[in-house]
Amino acid sequence: MHTLVVDFGFGDAGKGATVSHLCATADRPVPAVIRFNGGAQAAHNVVTPAGLHHTFAQFGAGTLHGTPTHLSRFMSVDPLALTAEADHLSALGVPAPYALLSTDRRAPLTTPYHAAANRLREQSRGSARHGSCGMGVGETTAYALAHPDDAPTAGDCSSRPRLLRRLRLLRDRLTDELGPLPAPPIEAFADVCTAFAQAVTLTDEDALRALVRRGPLVFEGAQGVLLDEWHGFHPYTTWSTTTFANAETLLAEAGDTAGARRLGVVRTYTTRHGPGPLVTEDPGLRPLLPEPHNGHGRWQGAFRIGHFDAVAHAYAAEVCGGVDALAVTHLDAPGRCRRLRICRAYGIDGRLVERLPAGPPGDLARQAELTAELLGARPALWETPGPDPRCWSDTISGLLGAPVLLESRGPSRQTVRPAVPRPVG
Amino acid sequence: MGSGSWSTNVYDAAARYRAASGTDAFAYSDHVTRSAPRSSWRAHQTLDPYGLTVRESRDSAEHPTSLAISVLFDVTGSMGGVPRVLQTKLPDLFGLLLRKGYTEHPQILFGAVGDATCDRVPLQLGQFESDNRMDDHLGNILLEGGGGGQMTESYELALYAMARHTALDCYEKRGRRGYLFVIGDEMPYGKVKSREVRDVLGESISRDIPLPEILAELQRKFHVFYILPAGASYAGNPEVLALWRKLLGQNVIELDNLDAVCETIALTVGLGEEAIDLAAGLADLEDIGSTVVDSVARALE
Repeated sequence: MHTLVVDFGFGDAGKGATVSHLCATADRPVPAVIRFNGGAQAAHNVVTPAGLHHTFAQFGAGTLHGTPTHLSRFMSVDPLALTAEADHLSALGVPAPYALLSTDRRAPLTTPYHAAANRLREQSRGSARHGSCGMGVGETTAYALAHPDDAPTAGDCSSRPRLLRRLRLLRDRLTDELGPLPAPPIEAFADVCTAFAQAVTLTDEDALRALVRRGPLVFEGAQGVLLDEWHGFHPYTTWSTTTFANAETLLAEAGDTAGARRLGVVRTYTTRHGPGPLVTEDPGLRPLLPEPHNGHGRWQGAFRIGHFDAVAHAYAAEVCGGVDALAVTHLDAPGRCRRLRICRAYGIDGRLVERLPAGPPGDLARQAELTAELLGARPALWETPGPDPRCWSDTISGLLGAPVLLESRGPSRQTVRPAVPRPVG
Repeated sequence: MGSGSWSTNVYDAAARYRAASGTDAFAYSDHVTRSAPRSSWRAHQTLDPYGLTVRESRDSAEHPTSLAISVLFDVTGSMGGVPRVLQTKLPDLFGLLLRKGYTEHPQILFGAVGDATCDRVPLQLGQFESDNRMDDHLGNILLEGGGGGQMTESYELALYAMARHTALDCYEKRGRRGYLFVIGDEMPYGKVKSREVRDVLGESISRDIPLPEILAELQRKFHVFYILPAGASYAGNPEVLALWRKLLGQNVIELDNLDAVCETIALTVGLGEEAIDLAAGLADLEDIGSTVVDSVARALE
């Protein structure tokens, strides 16, 4: 059965370690990890038992086990960022990283022009910044939606005249809108794209169908459900569908009949990069729970930490349409940080709120109202499972209504082990 | 999440790709043209026609009914960036021919044409191959970027080499002609000059051969086509087109989109082999998701 891995928080819950573990322990080799949303701004940290660390952005988190990655049509591809990531993988001993990568030709191409436009826009927002990564992934999506017929795609990289035409159009349109873009010349970037097209395998729509036939796949989501473009807390969201929806669309297109297991990943405390609601935020936790791989992002802002937010994570499970199993990460944290707690309900304007109702996708006015409420919400009802990781796992399983399939602990997250499936409740 | 950990400089990213993947489409050309003075430029040894005996397209147990297909393109300066695009596009040709079954056992030879009056490397010819060695030949073609400026290049010398120095089982065993596509934007010289044959091929012939004579000889073995692509200096030039039409009649193809070169060649072969009619060929292209169907339709209609 395929496994769809999605983060039920604001990202950083531990999808990388989860995917890596699934690839390493599968009964037979996983034919591919499928990326189905976001782009090069993803940062899925994996630390191997040998202590090697890599931040997976476009390569799937199974790469260190030799699992190939397929970038689906829902993933924005950034050929520039890819070279740096591939270099680092080579340095870790992956013999030919590009040989492990295939890309759907239809995947939108992220360019330095998108990134420059993204930064100009974010700067112009001043203190009302959205928490963008400054890499142009949202800009890529916006442009592809506005110009579906001539937005550059991964497939264009194998056709220089078409690529040049589309890049010029892109740059000129963004320049008309925003003024001069601090970005390199078109020709220089086109050279990179040509090299990219020769290094990685570009596929047509049949590729996923073939992969699905070869065996159970692991679908690696990026970011988190609480950042979802339709269900997240608008406007502090990402321009990407972060739920299981894209993965399920891809499986349906590939004619899959094997079915898939929906796995939601949460960590024992709730974190957020950059601005937006984080009801359980507690600045006092920061020195107690150091974060080696998540620093202050130049474009995103600070890395923030709060107690486990059961209200928000249950909301994530609900907007996803339910979940089959959970992966709970950082189970060592409650033992190291005794004041860590679980927030079961918010106080909003004197009301006790245990559940955030899911709305229909696309109603951004409603989502903005929800955001406004959350910005005024405070934790009101706490649960304290104590220092025992097992109690934390059980409590989270009960609160989110799904069995825990995987547990991970250890400061560098390298130890993931399967939990005994427990009955719900 | 989303710390944007990986970023790199656009100015070295292409080189990093090539260094990591070990495949540089233009490695030979770039190495020669950047590292050595022009006077020392030479064709890659696998493509050098000097001392040429025959380039063979032969049947084998694996390929019992071989069909010879050759694609020679002009690499002089007037072609602009076209040769580089061809070098990246043409590797798709083989798959395209096989995919829709236009011919079962294609064997493809790639070569390049320059100007024997002034170029160091006026002719390069690979071998007929039915596997990825043809890509190696394509990658080893030296893009000299020379030529005169008089709207003539030494196509006739290439036609001579293809007429006299190829051996095709499709023709010899089955009486079926192979296909030769010349992609360029200028005119041939009026005759094959014995001096140039000596200098370039290392062969002595007793007299110059008029162009129509060598072409007639060549056309016994090959269906010969001339493709004038967009992006070249003399794209659409009426004088060039008129001369080639006089020589080749209907077999002159104007192509408004270089991206369509493989599809155009594949359909031309499919039509020649009577595997398809044009409508069926265009439908095949639609079927495989080709984005250049309109250009191919305009080129072949």
